[in-house]
Amino acid sequence: MPTQFDKLIPLLSQAAVEFIIVGGVAARSHGSARLTDDLDIAYRRSNENIAKLVTALAPLDPYLRGAPRGLPFQWDIKTIHRGLNFTLITTLGAIDLLGEITGGGRYEDLLPHTIVQEFYGCDCNCLDVPMLIKVKRAAGRPKDLEAVAELEAIMEMRAKASADLKSID
Amino acid sequence: MFETDTVLPPDPVIEAYKKDVDRTLIRENLKLTPEQRLGNLMRLQEFAEELQKHLKKPDADSVR
Repeated sequence: MPTQFDKLIPLLSQAAVEFIIVGGVAARSHGSARLTDDLDIAYRRSNENIAKLVTALAPLDPYLRGAPRGLPFQWDIKTIHRGLNFTLITTLGAIDLLGEITGGGRYEDLLPHTIVQEFYGCDCNCLDVPMLIKVKRAAGRPKDLEAVAELEAIMEMRAKASADLKSID
Repeated sequence: MFETDTVLPPDPVIEAYKKDVDRTLIRENLKLTPEQRLGNLMRLQEFAEELQKHLKKPDADSVR
């Protein structure tokens, strides 16, 4: 099932969940052409924010992605407090909730490295390209290295476009 | 907020991968808004899913 970013992102945003879009969707929002299946978000691990996150996603029947049905997984505040990163499937598609990401740290560490992008009428924090490159380099999987190459190409192309504009001025 | 001003040293593996990056696709994407880019991603996901469904279906000739 394709992930419905046009519904998931506004849902989180309208519930005032504090989150940062990271991973493939963030890369895509910066111009990447790579296919990604899920929405990766880094979320603030405060009691208040975890409560908002649980309430917002509860109607979507979140469950562990790829796990057989019937496991004693409960979508509640306690579960989120006990864990950190969750790979979930919902009725709106796949979402990864990240309390911490390799090479980038927690929500608070990542926040200074975000830009605000507008999606479906909502202003969302999105990890910026240099930080995306940093965390994908830290992850170091072959698919991440390909993604880094593309992100670096995007940075080069944007820098060139900016320089070209300046030369016109 | 402005983009992080961090430039990491070049990595020879990534430099090698960079030669194969399709810049025409990026150029087209950069003309779009972030929301339009996500819209294209959702359409690409649907296409990929359709493709997978058809690839999984046994070919009528092969099951005869």
